Amino acid sequence: MFSIIAHEELAPRVHRMRVRAPVVAAKAKPGQFIILIIDEKGERVPFTLSGWDEDAGLVDFVYIEVGKTTRRLAALKVGDEVAHFVGPLGRPAEIGRFGNVVAVVSGYGIAAMVPVLRSMKEQGNHVTTILQTPDRERLFGEADLQLFSDRIIPVIEPNGEEVTGSVTRSLRRLLANSAREPIHRVVAMASLCIMRVVSEITRPFAVKTMVHLTPLMVDGTGMCGACRLSVNGNNRFACVHGPEFDAHAVDGWEVMMARRCTYADESVLQQGFQCRGCSQW
Amino acid sequence: MSERNGQKASSEDGGSKKSKIDLNRLEMPKQAPEVRRRNFDEVATGYTYEMAMEEAKRCIQCKKRNCQQGCPVNIDIPDFIRLLQKGDIEGASRVLKAKTSLPGICGRVCPQEQQCEHACTLNKKGAPIAIGRLERFIADWERGEGIISMAQIAPTSLKQVAVVGSGPSGLTVASDLAIRGHRVTMFEALHVAGGVLMYGIPEFRLPKEIVQREVDYVASLGVEIRLDTVIGINYSLDELLRSRYQAVYLATGAGLPMFLGVPGENLNLVYSANEFLTRTNLMKAYLYPEYATPVKMGGRVAIIGGGNVAMDSARCAVRLGASEVSVIYRRTRDEMPARLEEVENAEEEGIRFYFLCAPTAFIGDGRNNVAAMELIRMRLGEPDSSGRRRPVPIPGSDYVMEVDTVVVSLGTTPNPLISSTTPDLKTSRRGTVLVDDRGRTSKARVWAGGDIVSGGATVISAMGEGRRAASAMHQFLSE
Repeated sequence: MFSIIAHEELAPRVHRMRVRAPVVAAKAKPGQFIILIIDEKGERVPFTLSGWDEDAGLVDFVYIEVGKTTRRLAALKVGDEVAHFVGPLGRPAEIGRFGNVVAVVSGYGIAAMVPVLRSMKEQGNHVTTILQTPDRERLFGEADLQLFSDRIIPVIEPNGEEVTGSVTRSLRRLLANSAREPIHRVVAMASLCIMRVVSEITRPFAVKTMVHLTPLMVDGTGMCGACRLSVNGNNRFACVHGPEFDAHAVDGWEVMMARRCTYADESVLQQGFQCRGCSQW
Repeated sequence: MSERNGQKASSEDGGSKKSKIDLNRLEMPKQAPEVRRRNFDEVATGYTYEMAMEEAKRCIQCKKRNCQQGCPVNIDIPDFIRLLQKGDIEGASRVLKAKTSLPGICGRVCPQEQQCEHACTLNKKGAPIAIGRLERFIADWERGEGIISMAQIAPTSLKQVAVVGSGPSGLTVASDLAIRGHRVTMFEALHVAGGVLMYGIPEFRLPKEIVQREVDYVASLGVEIRLDTVIGINYSLDELLRSRYQAVYLATGAGLPMFLGVPGENLNLVYSANEFLTRTNLMKAYLYPEYATPVKMGGRVAIIGGGNVAMDSARCAVRLGASEVSVIYRRTRDEMPARLEEVENAEEEGIRFYFLCAPTAFIGDGRNNVAAMELIRMRLGEPDSSGRRRPVPIPGSDYVMEVDTVVVSLGTTPNPLISSTTPDLKTSRRGTVLVDDRGRTSKARVWAGGDIVSGGATVISAMGEGRRAASAMHQFLSE
């Protein structure tokens, strides 16, 4: 069993959970994820790590209440336990000395990107972060991003329909200015539709763009193939080959997004964070 | 239909006057097809006490133990049957436990018709002793009576062994080495132990309660089971060898599912057999929403492939409520790798077989759900490296079949997690771990077996490889 050490609501329906899991904390790297199961009848659900403390043996992650399992998770209190907790899964995010890095974040990515940016800063990169949130009430995590960003561009967009549009505008502006201030790398941890749009915007500029993909998973260790996607025409599994991929090598975004929604009707209770009517935000 | 192996019960010889030998091989009661199509309960309900006694009495106790030689784990078959004949079921169980910790599992899923029963002297008359059914009877009887006969455990050797993976091969090595006095830790990446016995083989062929009972038995031998721990991530193989373990056994199993590589294969509701079976068996989607994991499936389900995993997938689909389940196989019935018994079970349950055809593309419904598949007909050409005749596409024979769900069951490729983090572990071009005939890998103090070595075989062959490696490991640990 894995004890919950801290649990706080960061914004309406957005929570941070800290769990005692020394074996996970000992190996955690930026961009990796864990899978937890609340109890023996629960499902296996992946969450990207947003922080860890190796010495204390603690890891934390941020999640949004969107379905049955995340709603049950939200009801757990400090001192409660989850039955299973395995990780760190997936390959770590690619970190290097790139120069000017632009990060695009929304939802859980606002918190899960923090360890990536910390490492990016340690490597001496200049970091600009585009932070998208649907309204001021649901703005969270800005202070943590601030620590590892040289500049933050908040995009607060009340209308879900416009979300991708507003991220687009901010990113386009940076790209338009890239003659004076070149962009060496873009890294995105956001809803699939935002990441798709981001990859299309950077493609003509040939700016290497990494996206953290979140297809459905079952085992999360390479056994089931639920999280497969096509990368340069080859099947890749997000759980063992990703979850970070070169966005310009990913083909079949449409299919990936459809697969993401396979179980939306069964398990998603509310349409909280919407983007063009898609419940999987 | 079943004459291929010529080994079905031929009870009509039973009254032969010349011989006292009873050739009335006793069938095991089964749920009727129209009933079992609607539930996940075990299909074969097992011998009663009287039936087991009647079947055991047929054994003629040959001096030459052909049956035992036919068993990959060398169970003393004539001995346990002799004890059964005397009504000493506990004694029979002890004989079994000396060679296998998993009798309830082996009795159900071993292909006995190719092993012990194939070698049985009475098989010459077409009516071998139903050894597997008797083994199962003993294991189930013990469970019913609440008796647990334990193997004799040797005094502790103070040596420690790590077993990576808790499927049939890992369980065998763990119990063999624990019985010999070594301290064993078994690592499992998933949240329950049992490997393919839990995630792959369906409840109606192998109840999960039986698996967990035998896993508990292995734990009772002193084996520590560490769930939710991925070797290659939480600990590298080298870290295991540097820490308290003198030897390591790698039994990480089948790995990543293979796909056809045709257009449209990632459309929604195209599953790998691993995902379809994991959702259904391990996560118990057939009990959704009591269990939180669903499995979405349309009415018309096509299974691609002809192995045992394909049969399991097809039979799960029937029970989950599919209206029409088709198995698509590119060769003919004779080349199917599935056990004949499973094919017959599938047919009884209304599953349709389409031979000599293969999908060339999957077609969407406009919303990225699979709606149909394009197939091409095949003919059999010259034998290939496997000795089976190679399927050759017939040009211009394409046709379309409408489907709502597809399950691709083409086998697996090894999971690269350990080999990619262990450069000095030699693997084949396919990624399987290379071993000598006693399971030793290229890396000192490391042995391997099961599907990570074979690339994909049976539960009992994985156990047999475990048995051989365990004796080699024991020899090493005793030096």
